[in-house]
Amino acid sequence: MKTFRTGGIHPPESKLTGNSPIEVMPLPSELAIPLSQHLGKPAKPVVKMNDEVKKGQLIGEADGFISANVHASTSGKIKAIKPHPHPGGQYAMTVFITPDGKDEWAEGLECAPADWKRLSKQEILRKIKDAGVVGMGGAGFPTNVKLSPPPDKKIDTLILNGAECEPFLTADHRLMVESPEDIVTGLEIMASLFDGPLKIAIGIESNKQDAIETLQRYALPKQIEVVSLKTKYPQGAEKQLINAITGRVVGEGELPFDKGCIVQNIGTAAAVCDAVCRNRPLIERVLTVSGMEISRKKNISARIGTSFSDIIAFCGDMSEKTNQIISGGPMMGKAVFSLDVPVVKTTSGILFINNPALGKSMERTCIRCGRCVEVCPQGLAPWLLANVAQLRHFDEIQTLGLANCTECGSCTYVCPSGRELVHWIKYAKALVANRQKRKSA
Amino acid sequence: MISDAFIPAVSSLGAVALALGLIIHFVSKKFHVEEDPTVKLVNGILPGVNCGACGFPSCGQFAEVLVETRNSAMTCPVGGADLAAKLGEALGMTMAEPKPQLAVLLCQGNNDVARQTAEYLGIQDCWAATQAFAGPKQCRYSCIGLGSCIAWCDFGAMRLENGLIVIDNDLCTGCAACIPACPTGVLVMQDKKASRYFIACNSRDRGAATKKACDAGCTACQKCVKVCEDNAIVIEEFLARIVQDKCTACGKCIEVCPTKVNCIRLENDLKAVKQKQAS
Repeated sequence: MKTFRTGGIHPPESKLTGNSPIEVMPLPSELAIPLSQHLGKPAKPVVKMNDEVKKGQLIGEADGFISANVHASTSGKIKAIKPHPHPGGQYAMTVFITPDGKDEWAEGLECAPADWKRLSKQEILRKIKDAGVVGMGGAGFPTNVKLSPPPDKKIDTLILNGAECEPFLTADHRLMVESPEDIVTGLEIMASLFDGPLKIAIGIESNKQDAIETLQRYALPKQIEVVSLKTKYPQGAEKQLINAITGRVVGEGELPFDKGCIVQNIGTAAAVCDAVCRNRPLIERVLTVSGMEISRKKNISARIGTSFSDIIAFCGDMSEKTNQIISGGPMMGKAVFSLDVPVVKTTSGILFINNPALGKSMERTCIRCGRCVEVCPQGLAPWLLANVAQLRHFDEIQTLGLANCTECGSCTYVCPSGRELVHWIKYAKALVANRQKRKSA
Repeated sequence: MISDAFIPAVSSLGAVALALGLIIHFVSKKFHVEEDPTVKLVNGILPGVNCGACGFPSCGQFAEVLVETRNSAMTCPVGGADLAAKLGEALGMTMAEPKPQLAVLLCQGNNDVARQTAEYLGIQDCWAATQAFAGPKQCRYSCIGLGSCIAWCDFGAMRLENGLIVIDNDLCTGCAACIPACPTGVLVMQDKKASRYFIACNSRDRGAATKKACDAGCTACQKCVKVCEDNAIVIEEFLARIVQDKCTACGKCIEVCPTKVNCIRLENDLKAVKQKQAS
């Protein structure tokens, strides 16, 4: 079984919802759709207050090259456009829609399935861009930009990321089992954009045997390899996945296309298929609602903009003991500070956790045990980065590979002294960026 | 018994030390660089805290450049007028008087009046908190209240009180080192002389949203604008601002402000500057 070379950890898998089919969540009474659900510049609003919008209508236009379109998730009236809590932790401009209950598609979006094989590459890319498809694994990088690498970079490997290495999350898993056709078609569409021999692979962790078998049935006739990967965190991190499947190492400051690779997420492939074959913009996504503190754990398909409180109402009672609600997985996700935050294109799960250590944990001194160095998949020395960050030596820290840290959280997970290693690294990154901004200003 | 081992050890090491000492003495004489005594004199006058407020990384460099260029426009904001006079005396010229400045906190949202969103239990530092979320206070323009700026102040002028930074105006020298240390930009520099009243609020939210988040926030109600006879108050982005050149410190705005002195504050340090102007 293939895996990446350095580091990695084995947290309890806790895939409680692996066998629960995806349930479609009913339309909530209000939708809050942030204009920034992707990496890059927020979209420009193209609607005003009190406008009537249809399902799938453009409400935010991509502003610049690295940006993405945002669409109305249902038909209704624009109630307000104002800053609102975002699952990323900050406030973001958000379009509020009061649904009219009709859920009518905008004109031209209900049309019969199109044959993508007749479309030119430009048309396919334009359709992906128009539909506002972004990387649905977490970072939210606009997919059309990722699929158009600089012409001097030769792409020879296209990888679909079905590792889903974060504990608890099963959204990609269910999508692979339930809509393998869409995923394979989406992958084929993306592969058609590249000339020359292309190796296409789907990497899936070995704890999802049913997904591996299902996808093999659909993928093998189309010369797509399904690779069974060792269950190890962070198997699904872009650089680690490339290393596991191709053996190549994406070094510091390099991007996957420097090594001839492009990695896309399972959800993204399904969204590309929807966008190109059915003309559907990205207005809903599959996510996992799990954690020990919610009674009905399930995988749901929710509209973009559904608030977390609506999801709690749909999934049953949240226990009194909940002290952390996490958007994303337990390793890299973020605790949200308000239940008003909406589901966005990159929300892969919502977890309800009772963390007994919360508030009691005290950072103790590093005992130089070296466990963080052992598990770091990027080959860094997290203890050193954290120490230097604490001392605020921001020139020195950049020479220690600060930019190479992917914030996977493996070091914090193993630290016996309870040090907030990743948090210190994030702190250093923020201050280094702030200094550079001040220098250039 | 002891002396047998003791004497050769001490004498040999002593000989080495003596030899090295002679070499150092010789080298220091041979390669002696004549230093301008004025630089030393100027350096002695300067505060010696290397705060960087003058634009040079250290007081020593400021002194070197000043002695070399004799530029009367070079000022040490920390030392103020007294130091400028001393420097002028030492160099035999009139130095420009620095504009004294003060760091002020545009926020009055302490733990009693500002409402919280969530409990933050991570690393107790403002920058670390902003990596997790918009800050524990509901108002995202406010002083986060974890005190990142305290460590950057070389003069011990800042302290944390009830979730809010308090600046000691007697100790603040106006070096502006704390300004880049604040992630929300709620700390600003103000001219000491010009400071009359200022609006101690940074919230650009609409009135209703500000009121919901904090009892001491400017709701842009316009009452102070209407009462001001000098037209010194303007409202920009749902936030009142006092134009310092026009303000005559009559204090009428304080009387009408619905949030009372919480929001509009008088600069305490004004007295010292005023006396100087009178004399």
